[in-house]
Amino acid sequence: MDENTMDEKIRTAAGIAAGLQGIAYDDKRLAELAAEVEILNDAVRKAAAQRLTFDDDPAAFASIMAKEARS
Amino acid sequence: MRNDDLALEDLTAIADAIAGGRITSVEATEACLARIDLWQPRVNAFLRVYREKALAQARAMDAELAAGKRRGPLHGVPMAHKDMYYRKGEVSTGGSKIRGDWVAPVTATVLNKLDAAGVVELGFLNMAEFAAGPTGHNVHHGHCRNPWDQTRVTGGSSSGSGASVGARMVYGALGSDTGGSIRLPAAACGVVGMKATYGRVSRAGAVARSWSLDHVGPLTRTVRDNARMLSVIAGHDPDDSTTSEKPVPDYEALLDGGVAGLRIGLALPTDGLAPLDPQIGAAIQAAADALGRLGAKVSTVTLPDFTALYRAAEVMVKCEAAAMHRPWMEKTPELYANQVRTRMEAGFFIPATQYIDALRLRSHFVKEFLSSAMDGVDAVLLPAIPFPLPTIEETDTETKGGPAVLKMVAGFTGLTRPFNTLGIPALSVPCGFDTNGAPIGMQLVGRPFDEAMLYRIGHAYQGATDFHTRMPL
Repeated sequence: MDENTMDEKIRTAAGIAAGLQGIAYDDKRLAELAAEVEILNDAVRKAAAQRLTFDDDPAAFASIMAKEARS
Repeated sequence: MRNDDLALEDLTAIADAIAGGRITSVEATEACLARIDLWQPRVNAFLRVYREKALAQARAMDAELAAGKRRGPLHGVPMAHKDMYYRKGEVSTGGSKIRGDWVAPVTATVLNKLDAAGVVELGFLNMAEFAAGPTGHNVHHGHCRNPWDQTRVTGGSSSGSGASVGARMVYGALGSDTGGSIRLPAAACGVVGMKATYGRVSRAGAVARSWSLDHVGPLTRTVRDNARMLSVIAGHDPDDSTTSEKPVPDYEALLDGGVAGLRIGLALPTDGLAPLDPQIGAAIQAAADALGRLGAKVSTVTLPDFTALYRAAEVMVKCEAAAMHRPWMEKTPELYANQVRTRMEAGFFIPATQYIDALRLRSHFVKEFLSSAMDGVDAVLLPAIPFPLPTIEETDTETKGGPAVLKMVAGFTGLTRPFNTLGIPALSVPCGFDTNGAPIGMQLVGRPFDEAMLYRIGHAYQGATDFHTRMPL
């Protein structure tokens, strides 16, 4: 990742931390957090793009467990 | 009894001996207390031992039995539990410094159920701080140590539960499992651990790690012990709206069906988040062979790529943990171990849409798993921990850190966390020892609410093997 992109991610993370969450972190930690969150977000976003539709409801999990119950 | 030392008997033998008047609850409790005196200095499994209170409880249980009252199938049996189950009016630390002197305002539903069944409470057990950590490290209360080799980890987060049952200090213990925290210590300490279906056991009155992924369950010495304990603690609870209203089977009564004709899918993953060590693979293959000799039809299955499922679980844990810990993380962050606090911080940065999508994905993941790896089989057999048990020092992220250590620690949950996302039942059963002499555990994974099938297979396996009867010296 080039330096400008990393700086941008740190600034974005700093904005979330200070502006939205009211928590302060130094740049080193913000860079680590930005990298960690990027991996998680990418994985979920890709999985969601492949599977989710407008009608998907989180509560479907409980329904599918009950429907698929063996005993 | 088979053993002169009552502490060495298993839970069901002791419960039945008490019920039959062959021994007393006081005798069983005294045997456990003597065993605790011997092993606590070595493994640090207990945070608090309730010696006098337990003996008083045991005397009361004996008196009730003498008067013709047997509370239930665990009448007079001494146990202890992970220090995250609330007992009204008593300290409950959650393994933390933050709640070092916090007094619980309610009693956990599972403790109420065990009380009603007649259990004697020996105390509360060590655990990872706020149930966050798969190894058994705890900087506040001292690391828990594996009874088989005190230089090695116990697995976590239910470290004291695994160590106390493994060292025969208690007959059974409650643990909890958000990413493997029952199955990992069970595997590492050579005992049996059940993460039942999400919604099978109430979480009310238990410290949460992640409301969406937490599972309460028992650790015991044998599958039969485990089945009896789960039958007692399972069931709908008005105080936990996620619990199922499905009737709870008598799991113990369903144990003896054997495995002849059952279809078991063997999964030995060679890539993904948790590469499999050859000696662990060999132990799991040997377990599959043993089940095959008992008449099970064993076939090879391929696990789906768990990466997205694993990441979705991380999103849920981090977001939910960050939300619940926020006040302490803002005001007293220094009271957390670094590795505990830092693992939650990403939760402040993950967009709510990603968190919601992670929840929405769960039903898709379940359908995909049931129609792929579990298609045409009654259970899937795979390792619990994919590598030989490391030492406490090798996995100390608080003092060592570094990518290699973090990768090894993360690798613990590579084959367990996916089943928390899926919510399906998973049973860990001892199936061998590595070249260091540390236990190896296998996982049996089943369809939703099919705990009885996993117990049936595990019980048949234990009837043909002796790993569960071996004990640390």
